[in-house]
Amino acid sequence: MDILQNLGTGFAVSVTPLNLLFCLFGCLIGTLIGVLPGIGPIATIAMLLPVTFSLSPLGALIMLAGIYYGAQYGGSTTAVLVNLPGESSSVVTCIEGYRMAQRGRAGSALAVAAVGSFFAGCVGTVLIAAFAPILAKFAEEFRSPEYFSLMVFGLVAAVVLAHGSVIKAVAMIVLGLLIGLVGTDTQSGVARFTFGIPELYDGVDFVPVAMGLFGFAEIMGNLDRHGDQPRSTAKIATLWPTRAEIRRAIPAVLRGTAIGSFLGILPGGGAVLASFAAYTMEKKVSRFRNEFGTGAIEGVAGPESANNAGAQTSFIPLLTLGIPSTPVMALMMGAMTIQGIAPGTAIITERPELFWGMITSMWVGNLMLVIINLPLIGIWVSLLKVPYRILFPCILVFCCVGAYSINNSTFLIMMMAGFAVLGYAFAKLACEGAPFLLGFVLGPLMEENLRRSMVLSFGDPTIFLQRPISLCILLLALGIVALIVIPQFRETREEAFQE
Amino acid sequence: MIRVKHPQDFWAGILFLVVGGLAVWFGRVYQFGTATKMGPGYMPTVLSWIMVLLGLFLAGRGLLESGPGIERSLIRPQVFIIGAIVIFGLLIERVGLAPAVVVATIVASLASKEMRWKETLILAVGLAILCAVLFVKLLGQPLNIFAWGA
Repeated sequence: MDILQNLGTGFAVSVTPLNLLFCLFGCLIGTLIGVLPGIGPIATIAMLLPVTFSLSPLGALIMLAGIYYGAQYGGSTTAVLVNLPGESSSVVTCIEGYRMAQRGRAGSALAVAAVGSFFAGCVGTVLIAAFAPILAKFAEEFRSPEYFSLMVFGLVAAVVLAHGSVIKAVAMIVLGLLIGLVGTDTQSGVARFTFGIPELYDGVDFVPVAMGLFGFAEIMGNLDRHGDQPRSTAKIATLWPTRAEIRRAIPAVLRGTAIGSFLGILPGGGAVLASFAAYTMEKKVSRFRNEFGTGAIEGVAGPESANNAGAQTSFIPLLTLGIPSTPVMALMMGAMTIQGIAPGTAIITERPELFWGMITSMWVGNLMLVIINLPLIGIWVSLLKVPYRILFPCILVFCCVGAYSINNSTFLIMMMAGFAVLGYAFAKLACEGAPFLLGFVLGPLMEENLRRSMVLSFGDPTIFLQRPISLCILLLALGIVALIVIPQFRETREEAFQE
Repeated sequence: MIRVKHPQDFWAGILFLVVGGLAVWFGRVYQFGTATKMGPGYMPTVLSWIMVLLGLFLAGRGLLESGPGIERSLIRPQVFIIGAIVIFGLLIERVGLAPAVVVATIVASLASKEMRWKETLILAVGLAILCAVLFVKLLGQPLNIFAWGA
């Protein structure tokens, strides 16, 4: 295996001073938004996309990736110390983490979370390095029918793994696909649903959609629910866990990493699902089950390792197949497209320095994050004192300036306002934004691959069943659908999302 | 008299129904084509009809099965947040980046009932300087910081 050589190529480009700086910058922002409740990685990456236009492709990707996994580290801080999830993937960490803080073990919980995350991050990085090239090689055989089936699989998984109503998730995907089709049809040159607006000829721009649906809808929702509440922060006595705590945490970290790595690869999975699944599992298999609810360290170690492992491995489908599996990956795909890189099997062979540089930077970033998070924890805690009434105007202004700077168009700002209203309505009607964004990104790709497949087969739709790989993928999708029908799984799914 | 038992489902259904219906209407002019040679209207039409059907199903279910109501909604955040975005869009080309940021920050801050004038003014000026430095000086975006009468 020339994996070492590949990693060497990667380190050669990722540890240049400038790229280290981008990595540090991404990790710092990630930790910051991870710590702050009310702003997540989706809104942040959307907000920073316009800023990356002028960076080098590698620098841009390193920074954006850093934001995503950095947020997984930062989220645990708020969860443990304030009993508020700084990030949706840290929701379960509140349960045991805050109880530990009440018993005076806050420092230990944070240390275990950070070190567990670091371990999981390392494993995730190695997994990408080991499996991505194999998967990409395998995917070189893929033609349009395989890609179409793969996208169907991805969307089906996104529906099953999303919370809430299945019908609504399907409708959101269809709406996303439809809006993704706006713009000039590549084959016939017909402008579809553009209403004569020149900004729509190239399709609905991705950045204002993501900002409107996730950033602004979130702000309005937060302002509806509560203003600023006084937050009491738990004190940290020592960062060192006891020997007994370490002994209990290690198996939980290992289990969390395994489950997180696996769920991260699945479409629709990602960090959030990984942490929920890890918590549920720890509650079932831990020898200290009876301590759950009173501050069991396993309940922190497992989910926190899982969310970071999931955050890392969710890059695999995007980097190897060119198919985003979560909204954050959809944004990463947007960033690549903006930089003129077509995500897919060709990245590894044609742009090895980009692929390996990004992977090695993830490892470097994880190392930075342990340092950023543990010794500097005091700084992050003090940031929690920034009231929301200051925070949200900043987010709003950055989104507006960013959206405008895409191509100096007032129309994009107005469209963003429109999507903000729509996103707010969706939130009130309990419709998830994530399936919409995936559909939106995949819309044009799906249409293109469907058309090509149909040309290949002279209009015979059974082509998707005749090709073995395509058939396998579709059967897998069917298997996932069967899961919802099985009542037992359905109950676990609802239970998992209720906690 | 029909009663809405599940407002979330019902109104989500209506929303999808309306959007799907509009898409069917505006999409009818695009050529549908055949399965072998799909026209520009093929996917949009199919998707629009699926959406209409899903919308009907959801709205219908909202009338039959009961469920949670829609979370309360305040007028103030919506008006000022959307207002701030729109005002920014209207101002940016007329007065330049810095004044547009100041106005947008102030309008946005009004969305929170805890807004304090002194704090907001400092924030607005600070953000204007930050955006000017970051976007114009560092990133080299072709934006005018001030554009009086331009």
